[in-house]
Amino acid sequence: MLFQWGLQKKQKEKKEPTIQQERDQSGQAQDVPREPIHSLLDVNLDIIRHTTGNSSDIVIRRFTIGQERSIRAALIFIDGLADEKNVYQFLLEPLMAATFPISLSSKDTLSFVEKKLAAVGGIKRISHWFDLFLALTSGETIILLDGMPSALSASTKGGETRAIQEPQTQLAIRGPRDGFTESLRMNTALIRRRIKNPNLWLETLKIGEVTQTDVAIMYVKGIANDDIVEEVKKRLRSIRIDSVLESGDIEQLIEDQTFTTFPTMYHTERPDVVAANLLEGRVAIFVEGTPFVLVAPALFIQFFQAVEDYYARFDIATALRFLRVLIFFLSLVAPAIYIAATTFHQEMIPTQLVIAIAAQREAVPFPAFVEALVMEVVFEILREAGVRLPRAVGQAVSIVGALVIGQAAVEAGFVSSAMVIVVSITAIASFATPSFAIAISARLIRFALMFLAAMFGFYGIIMGILVMTIHLCSLRSFGVPYMSPLAPFIPSNVGDTLFRVPTWAFKERPRLISQKNIVRQGEHQRPQPSSINRQEENEGEQS
Amino acid sequence: MEPVKINARQLFVLIVLFEHGSSIVIPLGVGAKQDVWLAILLGLTFGLLLFFVYYRLHRYYPDAPLTAYAQDIAGPWVGKILAFIYIVYFLYIASRVLRDFGELLLTFAYPETPLFILNAIMMLAVMYGVYKGIEVVARTGELFLTFLYLLAVSGFILIISTGLVDLHRLQPVLEEGWKRVWKVVFTETLYVPFGEMIVFTMLFPYMNNPKKMKQVAIAGMALSGINLAIIMTINIAVLGADVAARSTFPLLDTIRKIQVANFLERLDIFFMIALIIGGFFKVSVFFYAAVIGTANLFHMQNHQRLVYLLGLMVLLLSIAIASNYPEHIKEGLKIVTIYMHVPLQIIIPLCLLVAAAIRRRSFKQQ
Amino acid sequence: MKRKMAMIFSLLLCAITLSGCWSKKELTDLAFVIAVGIDKTEDGKYMMIFQVVNPGNVAGATQRGGGSGGVPVSIYKATGDNVVEASRKASNKLSRLIYYAHTNLVVISEEIAKEGVDGLLDALERNSQFRTTAMVVIARHHSAEDVLKILTPIDKISANQIIKTLQFSEKVWGQTLNVRVGDVIHDLDSAGKAPIISGVEIVGAVKKGKRQTNVQASEPDARLNINGIAMFKNGKLVGWVFGETARGVLWVMDKIEQTSITVEWKRKKEAVAYKVVRAKTSVAAHMKNGKPSISIRIKAEGDIGESLVPIDFTNPMQIFALEKKIEQTIKNEVVHAVGKAKKEKTDVFGFGNAVYRSYPREWKKMKHVWDESIFPQLEVNVTVDAFVRRTELRTKPYIFGQ
Repeated sequence: MLFQWGLQKKQKEKKEPTIQQERDQSGQAQDVPREPIHSLLDVNLDIIRHTTGNSSDIVIRRFTIGQERSIRAALIFIDGLADEKNVYQFLLEPLMAATFPISLSSKDTLSFVEKKLAAVGGIKRISHWFDLFLALTSGETIILLDGMPSALSASTKGGETRAIQEPQTQLAIRGPRDGFTESLRMNTALIRRRIKNPNLWLETLKIGEVTQTDVAIMYVKGIANDDIVEEVKKRLRSIRIDSVLESGDIEQLIEDQTFTTFPTMYHTERPDVVAANLLEGRVAIFVEGTPFVLVAPALFIQFFQAVEDYYARFDIATALRFLRVLIFFLSLVAPAIYIAATTFHQEMIPTQLVIAIAAQREAVPFPAFVEALVMEVVFEILREAGVRLPRAVGQAVSIVGALVIGQAAVEAGFVSSAMVIVVSITAIASFATPSFAIAISARLIRFALMFLAAMFGFYGIIMGILVMTIHLCSLRSFGVPYMSPLAPFIPSNVGDTLFRVPTWAFKERPRLISQKNIVRQGEHQRPQPSSINRQEENEGEQS
Repeated sequence: MEPVKINARQLFVLIVLFEHGSSIVIPLGVGAKQDVWLAILLGLTFGLLLFFVYYRLHRYYPDAPLTAYAQDIAGPWVGKILAFIYIVYFLYIASRVLRDFGELLLTFAYPETPLFILNAIMMLAVMYGVYKGIEVVARTGELFLTFLYLLAVSGFILIISTGLVDLHRLQPVLEEGWKRVWKVVFTETLYVPFGEMIVFTMLFPYMNNPKKMKQVAIAGMALSGINLAIIMTINIAVLGADVAARSTFPLLDTIRKIQVANFLERLDIFFMIALIIGGFFKVSVFFYAAVIGTANLFHMQNHQRLVYLLGLMVLLLSIAIASNYPEHIKEGLKIVTIYMHVPLQIIIPLCLLVAAAIRRRSFKQQ
Repeated sequence: MKRKMAMIFSLLLCAITLSGCWSKKELTDLAFVIAVGIDKTEDGKYMMIFQVVNPGNVAGATQRGGGSGGVPVSIYKATGDNVVEASRKASNKLSRLIYYAHTNLVVISEEIAKEGVDGLLDALERNSQFRTTAMVVIARHHSAEDVLKILTPIDKISANQIIKTLQFSEKVWGQTLNVRVGDVIHDLDSAGKAPIISGVEIVGAVKKGKRQTNVQASEPDARLNINGIAMFKNGKLVGWVFGETARGVLWVMDKIEQTSITVEWKRKKEAVAYKVVRAKTSVAAHMKNGKPSISIRIKAEGDIGESLVPIDFTNPMQIFALEKKIEQTIKNEVVHAVGKAKKEKTDVFGFGNAVYRSYPREWKKMKHVWDESIFPQLEVNVTVDAFVRRTELRTKPYIFGQ
């Protein structure tokens, strides 16, 4: 009943037979037998072989347990998912060497194996096929005994995964160098290492009817707002989808609003960022198979907070914050302002400058809007090409691009050099935004604003920004207003928005996120020069 | 009624933005020449007295908007008519402000663009905001008030550093005595913008902290009054009373005079931003009050459905109310003041208050 | 929800398609009028002269060759009964829209100024493109057309040349005044002050000045020269003041920032140059027995710029003596200026406004007779405080030892 390919919208309303039908039509999925596990080993093994389609990576090792009273048994695991060495060393060896006490009834054999023989950490008894296959596909090893209507699954997860590497996105000059990997366990461990506290709670569930992907919710009990945690769980549980391959799949299913260009969830590759967010009361969602961890609720200003802001001293961090917000704005409106200023509001450009721009535009055959649009589109093409291409070719693209946009077009008189300057500023600005998620939304809005500017000049731009602001203010991320703590204004949290106050002044956690436990640090954290040192210095001078 | 709440700070922000609204750009009280600041501050003082009337009314009915308690005080029939009149009043003033706004834009930046288009775009934004609810409008206000203040401060610095302010132009004080000032107070500044606080009787029930309401509202009004007085005083000090009185938009003229370092000049955009932000919030508050009032009068649960219809009405009304700008201004100063502001801002609320007080007392005696 | 979306969408679509971008104007469709000249034709009509920039020919703005070939500005003119008509008429000669937002200079011919500038400026003030921060000058001896046609070497656009000259000359020399359209309108509007406007004249051969060759010579054949201040009365030009008298006007109006004053010393004329670095003037009105009087208080600070006579600047007494002489010189300038204005019966200093500010009731009575009977007889007291603060790099001049 659970392997469903191609889930469709209307399926909910349809009755069971229809789903059955669809499944049969697709012809790809075999039913998992509904009945409990059979007691005959051969039958069971047949069913396994049949269900998995004799897949070559499924290893079935048959052997016998016990000397006098031998029982036929089998170990089943998937090559590559289970750690083969562990399977042989801690399961197969002890099992094959074992002898059963005479008093042991055949009924208790399985629990004897479970309790005395299997030398691995996690062991579970399974009596249904569904659970058996789930365990098998997650990398566990199944032990089947002849005559027993249930199986044992031993945790032998292993196999090759990527080692911890420096994150590819969100680079920082100062700060930890480890990044998340595709392995969920490793990722959660990275957080555990940072927050050594029993209140760091982790809940795992499986999402994806076909993929059965592990998804883990992590939060710090007592700091995180229970309502938000419940909300996250509720939304996750209500997901009915065939596959989850990346955290993006989840994000799009549980975010508050689809029709917005702004991200209402934050994703990161950096464990320190996740740890910091957890300590602010947020909830992290780990997804097996991706290094990107989701953090919710996300606020608008969060996308301007780079990790280094907290590691660098506050004055520098503040300056950079301002710069980033400015950059975001610039990448949003620069081409629109150029269009508006050159086609509607020539009076606001200083005389000398307007003459200079006019001179450049004398030979340009297009209206300013077309010129800007073409240049922006060309730039987006170049960027897209640069992202997708292999690194070596990517450089060639950028060289060609620079020549095409920068020089040839200007020399040929197709575009004015002022336009090239504007496009370049926009491009650099959009790269300088710390979060790609917000930079990409700026990219879309930029085009909208360009249209508005071409139609109504500055009036269009201002109205566009006004509507955008209303929209931003109407957004919520898991119940938390997106623009907080700016709107609604929360004075005690404003220290970490457009500017960053010194660390000792971070007295409170974000109010709306962590509603109960808001005190972050003790009183009098402000460092004072020690008087002892001063005395020593004076003494030193004297001697 | 929307099931939302706004906090004290948001009410403050809304009041400040509302009071600034279009008042910063129009020649507010320039009839008083260089005593305009006195006229505005006196307008504020009497406006505060009016506010106490509205506040007392609200205290009698803390959970109901004006349109609801009017029905309770004056009886269902008269009350319904009163509520209807107020809704029409709010709609009308919304369209007047929209018209002001469109005319301003048209005059100084978009002479060839039809008024309808400029108004329609503004109205779309207003409708979007009101559709999202008062909470969203208030939050947007919090963001924009900061922005507006930054703008105002930088504008102020620029004006000072261009050396435009000539304080001699503010003399002589009370050239023609108090008479001229009082005349301006009781024909202009009391009603616009201070008496227009009547519209907030529709928003008071949304306050989550009614205790703070009085001080917040007074602070908001006082701050706006002082700001407006400063702005108009600067206008006079820069332009001189005569030019300011002849100007359609004194603030625009003042800003146009800024010239710093041969680069920071022609800053009309400053003006435009102030204009749009102010206009948006003023229209939004009036429009929201009208929408909520209508929803309340006809017992509708969801105000959002009304937004389209009433929005379209405001838009069309803003075009239809006058055929040219002088007519529009004339209507605003004469007809609207006598036949709308005076009865709706002063007489009816006072009557309601007296009636409510008497009823309360008789209740207690029983 | 869908219906609402459709409604909003259709409204937006209407707005977009209906808006044929009305107020849109591409840069290449605009003729940037950098200066406007107003002349009178023989049949009594207005002639508007537009100095339009050729952006491609302005140095620094050219990218692809060109540049040196053409002239930076072109002149267009049109006649009409009023300013608006004339400026609209010019469009049949121009391939682009006339655009006033960058008009920084208005040149009015002396002839028109004498007839009156009253109505002239209304069109400029009313137009939303035009800025009242544009400067005004009066073309002396020549027509406004000639002034605008002269090509200038350093600032390619001659209007800029005039504007910059006006600005810097007021700042460091103080014998001309840069007056903006707004100021003139303000003065015309107020009863207690008459406008003044600086004059510009052409020195040299006017005809040669209009050719490109003018800017190719190290000494141009024709130059533009800012000289003199025109006094207006009831909107009509009534007289000119020049040189030190003109500076006297600026002293009273508190417009002096820096200037240089030469004073005599021990009967040697123009012996010491005093450089004013800071100056402040305050004008106050008094009323005695219903008769107004004005007191002007000037405070000047400065350095010694040059000395042709041996003075011991290390001796404070000598400095004090010099200060007295400087004060006397400044006072003379002011008294001359006031005398000239009294003679022309026009209150260009704004004394009337000073009276109005302090005595509004009395002013009301004398407002109408101010120019004719009260101002010419007005008692004006001038006090000057001049301070020599430093003597620059030397104390005694080298001739001292001889």
